[in-house]
Amino acid sequence: MKLLAKRALVLLVLVALLTIGLVCFVVRYFNQASTWVQYPANKHLFNNQAKLTVSGTIYDRSGQVLLEMVDGVTKYHRDKTVRTAMLHATGDTDNNIAVGAQVAFREHIIGWNLLNGVYRLQNQPNRSANLTLTLDANLCAAAYKALNGRKGAVGVYNYQTGEILCMVSAPSFDPEQPPNISHYPEKYEGVYINRLLSAVYPPGSIFKIVTAAAALENLPEDKLYHCEGKMQIGSDTVTCTGIHGDIALEQALAHSCNAAFAQIALELGDAVLQKYANLAGFNSYLVVDGIKTAVGRVDVRNAAAVDLAWAGIGQYTNTANPLNFMAFMGAIANQGVLISPRLIADNYGFFASSQKKQVLSAETAVKLGALMRNNTLSVYGEYNFKGLELCAKSGTAEVGEGKRPHAWFTGFLAREDYPLAFVVLIENGGIGSQTAASVARRVLQTAVSTGK
Amino acid sequence: MVDFLDKVKQLLLQDLSSFFQWLGKLKSVFAHLAAVGDYYSLLVRWLLPVLAVIIFLWCILPLLRDRKNQTTWGYLYLMNGIRVPIQSWECMLGRGKNSDIMINQPFISRNHAVLTYHNGVWSIADLGSKGGITVNGARVEEQHRLAYGDVISLAGIEMALLPADIVPAEEGQEEQVSDNSGVVNSTGTFTLLLIFIFQLLGALQIIITRSAAVFPMLPVTVFALMLAQGLHYHVLRWLQFENLELVLLSYFLCGLNVFIVASAAPHSLYKQLVAILLGMAVFTIFSLLIRKIGRAMKLKYFLLAGALVLLVLNLTLGEIHFGAKNWINLGFITFQPMELVKVAFVLAGTATLDRLLTTRNMAAFIGFTGACMLTLVLIRDFGSAVVFFGAFVVMAFMQSGDLRSLALVLAGALFGGFAVVAFVPYVTKRFAVWGKVWQYAGTTGYQQTRTMIAAASGGLLGVGGGSGYLVNVAAADTDLVFGVLCEEWGLLIALLAVLVIVFFAVYTVIIIKSSLSSFYAIAACGAATIFLLQTALNVLGSVDILPLTGVTIPFVSNGGTSMLTSWALLAFIYSVK
Repeated sequence: MKLLAKRALVLLVLVALLTIGLVCFVVRYFNQASTWVQYPANKHLFNNQAKLTVSGTIYDRSGQVLLEMVDGVTKYHRDKTVRTAMLHATGDTDNNIAVGAQVAFREHIIGWNLLNGVYRLQNQPNRSANLTLTLDANLCAAAYKALNGRKGAVGVYNYQTGEILCMVSAPSFDPEQPPNISHYPEKYEGVYINRLLSAVYPPGSIFKIVTAAAALENLPEDKLYHCEGKMQIGSDTVTCTGIHGDIALEQALAHSCNAAFAQIALELGDAVLQKYANLAGFNSYLVVDGIKTAVGRVDVRNAAAVDLAWAGIGQYTNTANPLNFMAFMGAIANQGVLISPRLIADNYGFFASSQKKQVLSAETAVKLGALMRNNTLSVYGEYNFKGLELCAKSGTAEVGEGKRPHAWFTGFLAREDYPLAFVVLIENGGIGSQTAASVARRVLQTAVSTGK
Repeated sequence: MVDFLDKVKQLLLQDLSSFFQWLGKLKSVFAHLAAVGDYYSLLVRWLLPVLAVIIFLWCILPLLRDRKNQTTWGYLYLMNGIRVPIQSWECMLGRGKNSDIMINQPFISRNHAVLTYHNGVWSIADLGSKGGITVNGARVEEQHRLAYGDVISLAGIEMALLPADIVPAEEGQEEQVSDNSGVVNSTGTFTLLLIFIFQLLGALQIIITRSAAVFPMLPVTVFALMLAQGLHYHVLRWLQFENLELVLLSYFLCGLNVFIVASAAPHSLYKQLVAILLGMAVFTIFSLLIRKIGRAMKLKYFLLAGALVLLVLNLTLGEIHFGAKNWINLGFITFQPMELVKVAFVLAGTATLDRLLTTRNMAAFIGFTGACMLTLVLIRDFGSAVVFFGAFVVMAFMQSGDLRSLALVLAGALFGGFAVVAFVPYVTKRFAVWGKVWQYAGTTGYQQTRTMIAAASGGLLGVGGGSGYLVNVAAADTDLVFGVLCEEWGLLIALLAVLVIVFFAVYTVIIIKSSLSSFYAIAACGAATIFLLQTALNVLGSVDILPLTGVTIPFVSNGGTSMLTSWALLAFIYSVK
């Protein structure tokens, strides 16, 4: 039977084909089952009107109920300001906000996982069907109030643990009384976008921190730059906010001297500046519990001299994602180690998923921190931020078209008990060190007075 | 006397009424069971996959163990004093590597002769060798009967045929008896017990969840099934069947089948039970019938004639279900004739080694395949057409070993396949949705998307028998069984069910080298191919890896004819050794 035994091997081809098919399915299953299960035709989870029938609750870090789903009906926090402030965190009832917890963490809320499927012990709500966020409802409400109707974003996170305490995006609305968005296109422009996670803006002067980081490691520290109120590069001019004369890096950063940073950028060259921009998180996204942030771009490779100069001071084609930049601030505060921000409180060990990454040397990070501390002491005014040990940088990003610039204020608290990094962005908010800084002041003071 | 009878009657009636009262109470007990049931399912959903894995391993490990208990049917004494035991009914003699008895002499052709032992008669056939064959000095033209003591000469190399029983006593130990069968059987009984537990636990889960809907059909079916399995298993042992793990694996699949039917179509539980029982009987009878090659050959022609009748009946009396005209309704019974034809089809592709190597004539097989394919195309059952064609290719290759014509046939089929996809609207639609079922989730992708949703809902452990929703989708118990298994019993058990089928094929490949006749080898390969292809088309089709086709998973899908056919085909795989 040797002859036939040999020929019978042809069966193994079919066995292999079936096995390959099965493996394909299993791989797909592991990657996509969480999507399949959420299809509204799934009667385990949805009723005939395609409304979720399972119950689930989203809590903030202190146990306040942010959102409750019972029999397909969604109820939000009892306080209107909190509801509005946390709209982008919880999501709206129609799931227009893609990164809201209702959508982004749905499998967590409906109690699905790969092992158990949708199985849960009847009459005994599965504990994992509840979701606790790292956010602080009161802090978010304070931030929303501080924005005072202006469009923008506020983020605060613990740079040692990665927990995001405050995530506010404006404009927003009360999810229990959704307005007719199309009637007010101006007021609700981009209302479904979480500006902290999913938007990018020209960074303006806050980018000087990136340029400064490169300067600290690549140029002599005592080097002086010269500012005559503007700088001529060929036929183009880089303008400055004042005439700073001969100025060192520390003062150049504190006074946000464009001329000095233009010179630094030119001396560094495109390759070095590009490298430090990439290290600072530009041209890549962060993943916040499965949600990808928008990607801020810096591309100065082979840029003309004047473009490189403008890029060094945060203009040119540079864009920044607020959360991503805040994480860079966290890295500076945390000896150069970036702990990636997260939103889901680490309750069962499933999501102990903050990534660690050394993006700067500890030495550079400490020096940068000192520079930013000096900013507060010599420019922003310590009396405005009493007791916060604030290290910060403001930004006023020109947007052209005759509109007011975007106002930025970002940095961190050098405090052991409140290891917080933050970012404030106000669209067309004017001077960063004034408008954005005042929002930051109120938010940070709330943060340290109410707890971590 | 009359008084007495009246009294008895009264007593009986009382008894009966109290029995019915008790029955009624039993039903109300189910309500309370629901609460207990939650905790029951919590436990059982972990227990069942573990049991299933143990059952699977306990079945395949003994089968994979190499056993050297082959019977010796006779000896060839070569003139140089070497004695070669003949352990197969068909032995090829020659110089080539594929010869069972290799004689490395220059005058011997690569494939010189076939020595056969059919129905107690020895014979030798010349495979067109250059050197020729003589028996006792007389030249053999094509085939020659042999008697013990005959001296055979292959191109001058002489040898003598001697019976197996005149072995010198001191070499008696070479006659291996199946001495380790006792060990095997005892683990077999243990495995059977595990299968019983698996079936009981699973059935109880469904009873708790579905209560009235499956009462009393499911308890009756499961107990009858267990009884039948126990009985069948012991009858087979009594008949000295070996390698019963194959049968145990089928029991396991039948248990899953009962779960699915109970969940999806409880009203057809009894029908399915009857089909399983008949299947077991068919398996036993088939295995016994084809033990002797002569009977097997007679059966072949008998079944072929029957199959031709079925083909005609299907074309004339066929009824349309789900787009294919593949049912026959005889009033008291409905069945799918093409399922039954598979059995005859597999037999049609068989040939004994001497025929296979001398005549090389497959005209009858090709003709029969053509008739089957034509019927399948006419009744629009393209899924089955693929299965038949695949089995044809494999069996034709087993017969001819010709890779080149195999490639040609496949290319032709591919061409034909394209034509079907392009010009048959019903198939075109199936292909159009392939790979993008989510875009057509409400229409042509309905079944596939629901299967995937169900599979995802079940996770690895399942939501519990009777708690699924996929069973409400049309043809869930036949075309989408994989999804039902995934949803209610979990991905692990569903994959295991498929692995059982895969194992049937792997086992076939392994065991063929010790098969007695190429008849069995080819039949087993044909059966294994049908099993594999049906499973692949069903499982992969239902989850959008392949286009959806309406074929069943052997043993697992609901369907009486499919169940019968599965058991009959299993007999071919089983009979290899």
